[in-house]
Amino acid sequence: MTHLETSLTQRSGEDNAVENLLSIKNLEVKFYTYEGIVEAIDGVNLNIRKYETLGLVGETGCGKSVTSLSVLVLVPPPGKIEGGKILLKTKEGTVDLLHEKEASLRGIRGKDISMIFQEPRSALNPVYTVGEQIAEVLVNHRKKEFGERALKQIENDLSKGQSITDFIYRFEKKIYQKIIDNPNAFSLKILSRIPIVSRYQRRLNMETKKEIVRILRDMKIPDPDRVAEMYPHELSSGMAQRVVISMALGCNPKLLIADEPTTNLDVTVQAQILALIRELKVAFNSTVLYITHDLGVIAEICDRVAVMYAGTVCEVADVVELFKAPLHPYTQGLLESIPRPGKRFTSIKGEVPGLINPPRGCRFHPRCPNAMEICPRKKPTFTEPAKDHFVTCHLY
Amino acid sequence: MGIMSRLKKFITERSPNVKEIKFTVSRIKKSPLSIMGITILVFFIAIALLAPILAPPGHPSQRGDPYRIPKFGIFPAPQPPSEEHPFGTAQWQYDIYYGIIWGTRTAFRIGFIVVISALAISLLIGSVAGYYGGIIDELLMRFTDIIIAFPGLILAMAIIAVYGPSLDNIMLALVLVGWPGYARVIRGEILRVKSEDYVEAAKSVGCSDLRVIVRHVLPNAIYPIVIMASLDIGAVVLSAAALSFLGLGPPPGYADWGQMISFSRGYIYANPQDPLKYWFTWVIPGIFIFLFVLGWNLLGDAFRDIFDPTIRRR
Amino acid sequence: MGLRTFVIRRFLLLIPTLLGVTLLIFAVMQVMSPVERAALYVTSEKDAQRATAEIIKKYGLDQPIHVQYFIWITEVLGGNLGWSTKTHRPVLAAILEKAPATMELCIFTLPVIVFAGIYLGVKSAVNRDKFVDHVTRTTSIIGWSLPSFWLGILLLAIFFAYLGWFPPERLGTANLDHVLSTQTSWIDYTGLYTIDGLLNGRFDITVDAIRHLVLPVVSLTIQIIALIVRVMRSSMLEALNKGYIVAARAKGLTKNEVINKHARRNALIPVVTLTGMLAAGLLTGVVITESVFNLNGLGRFAAYAALPPPDLPAVLGFALLTGVIFVMANLIVDIIYAYIDPRIRLG
Repeated sequence: MTHLETSLTQRSGEDNAVENLLSIKNLEVKFYTYEGIVEAIDGVNLNIRKYETLGLVGETGCGKSVTSLSVLVLVPPPGKIEGGKILLKTKEGTVDLLHEKEASLRGIRGKDISMIFQEPRSALNPVYTVGEQIAEVLVNHRKKEFGERALKQIENDLSKGQSITDFIYRFEKKIYQKIIDNPNAFSLKILSRIPIVSRYQRRLNMETKKEIVRILRDMKIPDPDRVAEMYPHELSSGMAQRVVISMALGCNPKLLIADEPTTNLDVTVQAQILALIRELKVAFNSTVLYITHDLGVIAEICDRVAVMYAGTVCEVADVVELFKAPLHPYTQGLLESIPRPGKRFTSIKGEVPGLINPPRGCRFHPRCPNAMEICPRKKPTFTEPAKDHFVTCHLY
Repeated sequence: MGIMSRLKKFITERSPNVKEIKFTVSRIKKSPLSIMGITILVFFIAIALLAPILAPPGHPSQRGDPYRIPKFGIFPAPQPPSEEHPFGTAQWQYDIYYGIIWGTRTAFRIGFIVVISALAISLLIGSVAGYYGGIIDELLMRFTDIIIAFPGLILAMAIIAVYGPSLDNIMLALVLVGWPGYARVIRGEILRVKSEDYVEAAKSVGCSDLRVIVRHVLPNAIYPIVIMASLDIGAVVLSAAALSFLGLGPPPGYADWGQMISFSRGYIYANPQDPLKYWFTWVIPGIFIFLFVLGWNLLGDAFRDIFDPTIRRR
Repeated sequence: MGLRTFVIRRFLLLIPTLLGVTLLIFAVMQVMSPVERAALYVTSEKDAQRATAEIIKKYGLDQPIHVQYFIWITEVLGGNLGWSTKTHRPVLAAILEKAPATMELCIFTLPVIVFAGIYLGVKSAVNRDKFVDHVTRTTSIIGWSLPSFWLGILLLAIFFAYLGWFPPERLGTANLDHVLSTQTSWIDYTGLYTIDGLLNGRFDITVDAIRHLVLPVVSLTIQIIALIVRVMRSSMLEALNKGYIVAARAKGLTKNEVINKHARRNALIPVVTLTGMLAAGLLTGVVITESVFNLNGLGRFAAYAALPPPDLPAVLGFALLTGVIFVMANLIVDIIYAYIDPRIRLG
């Protein structure tokens, strides 16, 4: 399997040679609700390595989505990110996303880090066509590129030398030069509102449209020209999810966060989308953070896995290693409870705790068969009992 | 089983309901607007109930009808507030204070009678239409649509023009104009609830249609109606006041706030030197209308904030 | 289905609705005796005085009901709405004469209500539970609770009686004489003094007309705007909760872009349907506002006509007119709705 090969190449060498694309350190997120303060994320540490597919698995409500939203710094109120650091490795160096200005975060969202969502149709705005919505992310980040392409076209037209339309082309050339220099210039915003002058956008729109069709074709969507003009409610959920993926990959992001993208799809469609994601990851050379509660999907597509429980990370390991030799009692219980023919149906005793008053110390201790005296008193930290296999448990 | 244990059983069975009610009450207590609304309404209820004490009827000019504002003299011009007449007198010496106090009763009368009648009619029609569906639904809804096609006040004006101005005709007109609005909502709610699983479950164990409607459908459809109704009491009183103001209501001298303002129409602009000399004739009744309607609106808004499940748990 | 098909279908639906409206008016008419009803058919003062058997025969008032309805509809479509007893002219003529004043008021009020309402609603929702929100909600609830006529009187008392800034009626006496007399060079192009002032080259009349319009417009706006603000706010809050908002921000859009481009368009949908109610509120408000400010428009005419002894042809004619206007307004609303929300067209 491909992931074995990639993880082998990553493990050849020491840990610090393996580069972390994203490091979440001590993330704390709280939700201030009417009923009390929900301690949703309590000191999460997670490293995502370059070019890997890291799975993030856990039950509903364990904080997977909140973690992913925190990476984009888009935690909705009444939630607040209370502490920690999220370090992203860029060309220039490392930035802490939690301390970055909104303007630079916007440059990162959709371009360096992008996200695909669980319910594809609700991620799409019903009143705009699919093409319009993909165009949004493209124009936001790649305007310069399209401007350059359009400029080449203008040069071409100018050289054809029809004097009547010449001055229009020269005017357009000036505008496009401006677009290339400063895509977000205020003067451009004004120009785009004036009725006849704004027709200069025609070229830009054509370039954008071409790109949209190309992307949709890459997603194996048939008849992309027509699909681009359709509205979200006219698509099947499989197609809609492909559209969402194309929005996410439109600007070639370094990190793709997939938040349960196949949970709401039929099994057959699920298989297709998984295959698609796998292919795209190789083609685009991206890193994937794959969030799900489905262990089967994890087994199929991920290189490493992180297990979350009640707002904390319990265990992080290579996927084969995790399934073969789970260390954390929760992971063990999880794997035990997978129904198999011939085996008795078991589950982890107890219930997922409410997070307004979470258990003190290790959050799993009330349900843990190996609970010790220290467990309710002190929160466990990451240890590495086996090579590249991390656990937060007092047993180790 | 003894009474005490029966009672205990009842309470424990109903305890989720009790908890919800407690929660509702606590939400009410936390919202300053709803407290204000409730305070205002309590104030008005008190006035209405204590009317005979606060403003005793029995003046000869009333001829036995407590809703006729007593006249204290023959002087045409309004008199400013004094010890004898706390709010002053309108033209021809009608006591404004009396009119305000008994006008409270009139306001409650108008509000309750119109809304409850409209509710009754619309409940009947709306439930039938929503529950039975099909052609009955189509016909009834076309009918309500036609009435809704008219701006309410104007249709009411037409009805009153035909039947003649009086307080009863105002109430009649407002009921005829108002019931379709509720009927639509009720029907919508019933349609929504009808497709819920518990209705099908009830039917599958053999509940009769009536029982299903009364025990399952209506209790769940009722909340939006309650909100609408409480907001509407205010709107009805405003419409009635407007109609009175236009001269389509009770005769001059009747204890109705709108009528009192209409009565003072000629005295709004007194004279160039002191234009607002007779302010008390129209400002005071107006303030009372405003407060009354405000109370109901605040209550209705508070109900909405409290009962709307999506906002409730914020 | 494309927009065009939808529009055609919707237009076809217009006919039964209008039919229903006429039926309702006709039903109200049946309450009156044949003698009274005669006034709804006659076309001259003479005829109105003598509602004799002749007239009853002429307009078929003794025929069975469906025949009567047919006759009546034919008359109405021919422009005959009866004779207005209080203004001594055909109802249609009276309506046409008084329409401009009402139109002027509505033309100035409608944009204010719509734009201010939407703006305040959006601002309120985006700043939920902050100061802006509380102020907006409080003022709109107060506006909703004020008796409309009382507000107008109050405004007049302060801004006219006390301060002398904004007078009632449509024009000052001098200008009014100029406009109404046949001696002067004034031409009534539209009947709207604001526009006619410009067309006649009398800018000062336009200014005067605007000055007289301020209070009525403000009064009418305050009455109605609360509704739009409230609906806009709640639908905006709902839209902001939807998944595509987070998705849009994950694409890198600014908060403002997301609010204006994504949330607002979706939030406008319920507000558009509200516009139907807006038309109703406007027509109702016009009756009161014109009465308070003494504007010579349809509203005041209707109120005057309804007083005893009632000028029934006028009142019923006015009711019919408003019914038709309202139905048309709803039609426009439905079309706009289908334009904004593509999901509707498939229904």
